Amino acid sequence: MTRTLRGWAIQGVALAAALCAAGRPGVAGAHEFWLSPSSYRQTKGDTLEIAAFVGTGFRGERCPYAATRTRSFELLGAKRLDLAPATVNGELVYARFIGADAGGSLAAYESGFTPLTLPAPDFDRYLALEGLALARAARAKLGAGAGEGRERYARCAKTWIAGTNRARALRAAGLTLEILPLSAPVEGAPLRVRVLFRKKPLAGALVRTWSAPLGHGFAPRSEAHRDSVGPVAEARSDPGGVATIPVSGAGEWLVGVVHMVPCREREVADWESYWASLTFVPEPRR
Amino acid sequence: MRGALARVGARPAEPARALAVLLLIAAPLHPSHALAHNQPYSFIDLRLDERGLQGSAAAHVVDLAHEMGAEAPDSLLRPEILDRYGARIETLLSGGFTIRVDGVGLRPRWTGIEAIPDRRNIVARFEAPWERIPGKLRLTCRLFLYDPQHITYLNVYEGGRLRHQDLLDRTRSEVDYFSGGGQGRLALIGTFVGEGIRHIFIGPDHMLFIVGLLLLGGKVRRLLKIVTAFTVAHSITLALAALGILNPSPRVIEPAIALTIACIGVENLLASRNGRDLRALIAFGFGLIHGFGFAGVLGELGLPAGARAWALFSFNGGVEAAQAVIVLSVTPLLALLRASSEAWSRRVVAMGSWCVILAGAIWFFQRMLSAS
Repeated sequence: MTRTLRGWAIQGVALAAALCAAGRPGVAGAHEFWLSPSSYRQTKGDTLEIAAFVGTGFRGERCPYAATRTRSFELLGAKRLDLAPATVNGELVYARFIGADAGGSLAAYESGFTPLTLPAPDFDRYLALEGLALARAARAKLGAGAGEGRERYARCAKTWIAGTNRARALRAAGLTLEILPLSAPVEGAPLRVRVLFRKKPLAGALVRTWSAPLGHGFAPRSEAHRDSVGPVAEARSDPGGVATIPVSGAGEWLVGVVHMVPCREREVADWESYWASLTFVPEPRR
Repeated sequence: MRGALARVGARPAEPARALAVLLLIAAPLHPSHALAHNQPYSFIDLRLDERGLQGSAAAHVVDLAHEMGAEAPDSLLRPEILDRYGARIETLLSGGFTIRVDGVGLRPRWTGIEAIPDRRNIVARFEAPWERIPGKLRLTCRLFLYDPQHITYLNVYEGGRLRHQDLLDRTRSEVDYFSGGGQGRLALIGTFVGEGIRHIFIGPDHMLFIVGLLLLGGKVRRLLKIVTAFTVAHSITLALAALGILNPSPRVIEPAIALTIACIGVENLLASRNGRDLRALIAFGFGLIHGFGFAGVLGELGLPAGARAWALFSFNGGVEAAQAVIVLSVTPLLALLRASSEAWSRRVVAMGSWCVILAGAIWFFQRMLSAS
């Protein structure tokens, strides 16, 4: 994988920011969240597990399943399955399922809101780090009156467990903020994704990607054997919500987008943020 | 550098101190130890059956180390270290939550402690026998308050089945579990009827609205019609909101409730001049708004999974009972006054209506200000 000077610069800044954030519990509460299957390939009859991680630089800690904070948890494979009834609060494995065929499956999870209040400097730094221009501008206009950052955040995560039916990767799961691939991810080919917010294309969203080596076969590396990495690339979505990201090599990939809007329930929070992610392992180029 | 475990125990032995220093040096070299504790959480599992309660409390080593002033959290996962500090961890965990069954505090007996290395957790187990399964179990959790983001996962099993899943944090530290049998059902009804009654009597706005509706008086049949219209309306919206079908913001509902109170005062003044009585219609329309207000309270209490209908029905029953008390107290007094002096009765209606208007207007502006 070749990396440009800009790529190294992005990685350096992101790593420095991640290190700063790690020491601060408040900012740490707003880390990336992604789904991690036990294997990124599905064959008929295989038992697969789905877990979730929270962390920075595509390295994190397993996040227990929170039943009362889950809005939806579905598997889109040969059929659309609601996984939520089979989950257990506090479990590190969100779901176990047997591949009904070799076509592949898309797992999609959306959480409810979690409130978070941060001191003003931390909140402003986080807005800058995530490229959340609307909230930054609104707070800048208020100046010192903007006060502490009162937000509530929701997580919208998807993972593509590849199979023979590539069209399954392209289905919309209906998450509030969703990264929708416009083609199945392939090694060495640019991947076009559409960012949808409340089912409509979202323009100007900052799309970031991270990449990590795989563990055994198509299994992700365990948390103990991962290194924190900076984003490989970042791009803003165009007016049609489309962003093109380079999938420059093999391994496990994470695509992330954060979107923040004024909160409709102002007594609860001033802002609400949505953290979308998509994880996959690209297929080799034929 | 001070050894982490030198500060854990009261009188630590030298080998332990040496080990702690070693662990402190070694910890950053191992990737898993360098991982941040991004998700501050603990777990409480409660298993209920006819004989008693079996429970466990699991905490992350980072939180335990913080509370005990230790600097090498992962050293707590080592059996020899855990043996030494197990009692202290039990004390720490037992002080972090309380359990009451049918209103009586439960004193569990701690039965063992173990490390779960792959989760970086320490699990302490406890038990408490009882004669029969209680109707209501209340857990109050204050584990690791030092961290505002800390959450506790609660699972309650009854008869081997997972019956209740919950999350507790700083904003919600108490949860009631109602057991599955008749005892639990009775406890649930009692609790929610009580909450319905309490809500009416602690909130002067609903009381004043009902009094406002009754001020003009009327025959029993008419009053019954008015009260029924209000009851039907608020029951509809209470159910819609409690079941998550329709949830308007309290920023809108609370000022709107205040406005309904002022409006009922105005309507009384108009009706006493032109003789037109639209109270039943108004009670229905405004009752729809008050129902959303009741739902806000019910939402804060939380509807128990598996018994939502019972809780909703009981809470509504409590609200009706409290309303009935108000109607039965106010109506005879007004009737007596009307029978003794028509002139005084008119004055009371006028003055009462102005009071209702004033109170409604003040609440409206207060709530609008607070919402903005």
